[in-house]
Amino acid sequence: MKLARLVFVTGKGGTGKSTVSAALALGLARGYDVTLADLDQKLSAARLLGVELNGSGPARASSRLEVMALDSRRELEAFLERIVPLKAISRRMLRSRTFGYVSAALPGLDAFLMLERLRLMAGESARQGRYLVVDAPASGNALEMLSVARGVKGIAPLGTLNRLASEVESFLADPARFCVLLTVTPEEMAIREAIETAVHLREKLGISSIGAVLNGAVPPLFDAAELAALSAIEEHARLALRRDALARHTANAREQLAAGGVQVVELPMLFRPALGKAELRSLGLRLAEGFTRHT
Amino acid sequence: MKHPLDLDGRRLVICLGPGGVGKTTLCAALSVYAAATGIAVDVMTVDPAPRLLDALGLDPVRADLQEVALDSVALEARPRRRAKPRLRALRLDPKHTFDTLVRRHAPSDTARDAILNNRVYQNLSSALSGVGDYMAMEKLLDLVAEPTTDLVVIDTPPAAQALDFLDAPRRLLDLLNSRALSLLASSPGLMRGGLRMFDIAARAVLSAFDRVTGFHLLGDVQSFVTSFEGMYAGFAQRAEIAGKLLRAPETMVVLVTTPESERLEQTQEFARALAQSGLGVDALVVNRVMPRMPKAAEIERARIPVSLKRKLARNLKDFSALKAREERALAKLKTSLPPQVRVIAAPDLGREPHSLADLLEIARRLETS
Repeated sequence: MKLARLVFVTGKGGTGKSTVSAALALGLARGYDVTLADLDQKLSAARLLGVELNGSGPARASSRLEVMALDSRRELEAFLERIVPLKAISRRMLRSRTFGYVSAALPGLDAFLMLERLRLMAGESARQGRYLVVDAPASGNALEMLSVARGVKGIAPLGTLNRLASEVESFLADPARFCVLLTVTPEEMAIREAIETAVHLREKLGISSIGAVLNGAVPPLFDAAELAALSAIEEHARLALRRDALARHTANAREQLAAGGVQVVELPMLFRPALGKAELRSLGLRLAEGFTRHT
Repeated sequence: MKHPLDLDGRRLVICLGPGGVGKTTLCAALSVYAAATGIAVDVMTVDPAPRLLDALGLDPVRADLQEVALDSVALEARPRRRAKPRLRALRLDPKHTFDTLVRRHAPSDTARDAILNNRVYQNLSSALSGVGDYMAMEKLLDLVAEPTTDLVVIDTPPAAQALDFLDAPRRLLDLLNSRALSLLASSPGLMRGGLRMFDIAARAVLSAFDRVTGFHLLGDVQSFVTSFEGMYAGFAQRAEIAGKLLRAPETMVVLVTTPESERLEQTQEFARALAQSGLGVDALVVNRVMPRMPKAAEIERARIPVSLKRKLARNLKDFSALKAREERALAKLKTSLPPQVRVIAAPDLGREPHSLADLLEIARRLETS
């Protein structure tokens, strides 16, 4: 799989989505201009890069890496402003009043406008030869978000939005412009969710370019005979079993994701008492290499 | 010895926390544990994993209360409140709950059908964030009202903000009751004086919106609001009861998190926001904490090959590093919490819970941190 201009990073909560986004942005920024767009309200990817976003536009993490926050509510406001020429009236009042019921009546509209924004940004990135890394919501919410184009076409059979929805759909299906990276940890539930998400993305949403990042991969250390010999020292045996479970789930994730046609790049579990920017950088290099090598 | 989460005299346990921390599993564990002490427990889960449904022996399709067979669970010797302990579990279905609510409060059959068939309602009830929260609250009131139940344990939808769930009734009421919505409900000809500029603007936005999008939103919103008239009182009353229940002394508020440093700030924010809203957090459960590390000397003493000893030493070193990382994060979290919040660690089983016994094990291993 080749990284698209826009890399949409999602995964089950707690699988390191923000860490992977931040690391990938760092890794890519060694060779390209990169924008990291943080869709996560907590802005943890931005924070990992040492950038405090105060809502007033993009900030720089380094000469080639720009960080920004995207907020669906702002997109909706901008859209309303664009279609309604009412400059004379207090905009603030207008926004607060209209926002509530427009979003209530059309819950997917803000998500849809966000996708439209991402589509425009990806186009711009392609022209500038830059990568756009998106720290997206956790996989459940991300699937909902990516599905809205279909929904919008259903309820708006005509008009501007219908046309935009078709454009968003072909954007999502275009491997040169859009790809998804799923973060997964060596745990049963995380693996299952990653595979279900991959299937949903491909079959229901027509997204063809999907990769996975196996975060905290652990190689095997003990063999079965060794584990059996450990029963006498109970606590160490339990710790060895814990390691073994991680190693087995690592192997499972690798196997199952590959069987599902998803390219996997592995990030090793870092058995260190603290994780800082240096660790993030080394993970980023692995990611950038892993996903550009197979092109 | 008392359990670190002292459930005596409690009527309701509510678990709050961000997504992915194992809230649902913890709720299930607590309810199995409480039932094993000999009381009648109902637990409501939100979006449980198939494995958890398996562990509880539940049919994944049903959304009503299902009895959990407790045969495999060793009950405490002396059941406390009831001759026959009981555990029932329910999976939250927001759409279904909202429909029930409309059926209950609708002034007439015509009004009921008008609402249920309205496009705005159908969107609102299935997709608006906050409706899930509100419906969880609604279901909770039903469960608590049941006289044969001693304890209700509820899981809440994963939240970006701590108050999402607790604020849900107010937010929904605000939306349904807002001046903008009622203005939209009346037709232009009927509008009386006193209409301000921004009200006119709101209508203008919607009609422009309709023109551009082809949605015909205005008409739908109008009929939705009209059909909801007469139901606000019922909704408002329920919201008030829920607000009181959550602040009652018989209610235990449990905040759930995991020991990763990325979660720290979010957890602190949750606790702060809850305290500000007058809702004291009774306990913070830190889920999936790594077990205590065994002693290195045991490896030396063991009668095993040297190569294996070396591997064990490496394993111990590796996990000790992770444990140190975790402890540092935990210590930081503790200093930021109000002193009355009990911090309780839930040791990691090292695998997904597969059975009632596993769930019980999780609850029994809880320890004050």
